[in-house]
Amino acid sequence: MFAVETLNLSKRYGKTDALRGLNFTVNEGEIMVILGPNGSGKTTLLMILCTILKPSSGTAKVVGIDVVEEGTKVREVMGIAFQEARGFWRHKPSSILKFHASMFDIDPAKRQDLIERTMKDLELWESRDKMFMHLSGGQAKRLETAKVLIQQPKLAIFDEPTSQVDLRGKRKIWDKIRELRDQGSTVIVATNEVREAEYLADRVTILHQGQRVVCDTIPKLKDAIAGGDIVEVDFEDPVSGKLVKDLNGLGGDVSLSSEGNQLRAKVSRAEDWVPKMTSASYVAGAKIASIRITEPSLDDVFLHFTGKALAGQP
Amino acid sequence: MSQFSRLVRIARTDFSYFFRTKWLMAVLISLSLSDMLVVGLVYGRLIPTKFAGLSYFQFLVPGIVVVGLFSAATDTGRRIWLALREGVVQYYLTLPVRTGGLVGAYIISGGLGGIVYSGALLAIAYFALSFLGTSTIPIQGIVYALALIPFLFVLATGIAGLAAFFASVSRRGEIYWVYAQALQVSMVTISTVFYPAQTIAQYLPAPVATIAEYNPLSLAAGVLRNSAFAGNPLDTSVLTNLLATSLPLAILGALAYWTILRNIRLKGKP
Repeated sequence: MFAVETLNLSKRYGKTDALRGLNFTVNEGEIMVILGPNGSGKTTLLMILCTILKPSSGTAKVVGIDVVEEGTKVREVMGIAFQEARGFWRHKPSSILKFHASMFDIDPAKRQDLIERTMKDLELWESRDKMFMHLSGGQAKRLETAKVLIQQPKLAIFDEPTSQVDLRGKRKIWDKIRELRDQGSTVIVATNEVREAEYLADRVTILHQGQRVVCDTIPKLKDAIAGGDIVEVDFEDPVSGKLVKDLNGLGGDVSLSSEGNQLRAKVSRAEDWVPKMTSASYVAGAKIASIRITEPSLDDVFLHFTGKALAGQP
Repeated sequence: MSQFSRLVRIARTDFSYFFRTKWLMAVLISLSLSDMLVVGLVYGRLIPTKFAGLSYFQFLVPGIVVVGLFSAATDTGRRIWLALREGVVQYYLTLPVRTGGLVGAYIISGGLGGIVYSGALLAIAYFALSFLGTSTIPIQGIVYALALIPFLFVLATGIAGLAAFFASVSRRGEIYWVYAQALQVSMVTISTVFYPAQTIAQYLPAPVATIAEYNPLSLAAGVLRNSAFAGNPLDTSVLTNLLATSLPLAILGALAYWTILRNIRLKGKP
């Protein structure tokens, strides 16, 4: 059984299609990162999974429970940290967490310890006497994450969990999300931040214009790009036309460009191509000064599959 | 945990929100107490006339208590409006409670706010009467006041329902305030909260007098005067009328709020 399964899921707001026949699955115990620019349908999908929104058509199930037919049961097994923190303005963080814990039957004997530990882990303890309305954006966001952490739901959903959070805070939240997965929760993280996706994802689903473009592990997604690795080679002398021709003849999916002493190659697998390239250079008498191998980023992956750059999307 | 206990927790949290809004509390309490302890006591000495056997203070205080109940219950609308516009309601929608339970929690919380606030005013009034020696309170009056709590609670839920209705149909905060003020002016003005029914009948058109007579605020103020202050037995027909006029308001508000929550599930916004 999948932790999450949607079939032909669609959501229409007036004349706008936010989701268009989405088929999407998440395995139990994995972190699935949904990557997509604003307006790609990420938040709409999450809102449907947590039963706030009803789909226009299609079905969605969370741990086998239909989100439309049995919404209350779904809400018992899932927790969501919203993109915009939502809390009672005049309550303190610990009161908000106590209320949340009580709604999800967290053992009253363990509740206080759990709340205190989580607040300390997320560096909220110093703000325990502030009202929600006086918290900074980053603190409110960490409180939003804390709700899900104390709940330890079967399905944990985080919508852009580290927007407005500083770099140190980001790392802490990411580590806690991974810890949650290690404790048995299935996690969905929606983001348009590549670093977050790279750090967290067991698998990535790319959404674009309300549809699933591709879904796989990050290494496989990167390998799937023609020219999956980038190799930059510096020679001691200018690169000759003959050398370029020889290297093009090495076979495999390769794209070469040279300028002065430097050669840039996009290859499927650098570990296969580099030894061949060094041999060919040696035979051609071209002395290599340095070699740099870089992977394509998820931005490149997104560009490859959607034809558009992830950054700067409206 | 049962649906009911979750509903109670939500109601309790919302109820506590009312008392956490310190500026609102300060305004409400200062208005109520100045009306009661300054206007009521001073005018009570100036106006020796008895109204159905009650001193002016005893006549005025039930009105102040009922207006207090009204103000506290209508705050439900402000809280609903804020929850809708600030997205807290979406957080509520992710909790394992049915939509009907969520609606019920808000209405109950409005009822609780009304009854706790007006109950405190009533206790202060009793205290003032006993210790300032203006008049005595029959012991049955206190018993009747306790017996009235469930009925006043239903009245408060009705008013909370009306406020919920206006909050649900208001797109902007200032629009909600206009509705709330209009509601207060119409319900308190066209009532016997601050003046006797005979006076209204004497000076205003008959339909207005009839509306004032069956206004649930009038019924509540009347029964408080008659039983909680004069010590007369509770009039069951008045209590029945109080329930009959309050319950539809609570149902109207619950339906309006439920419709808004349904719209959020369909459209993503109120």
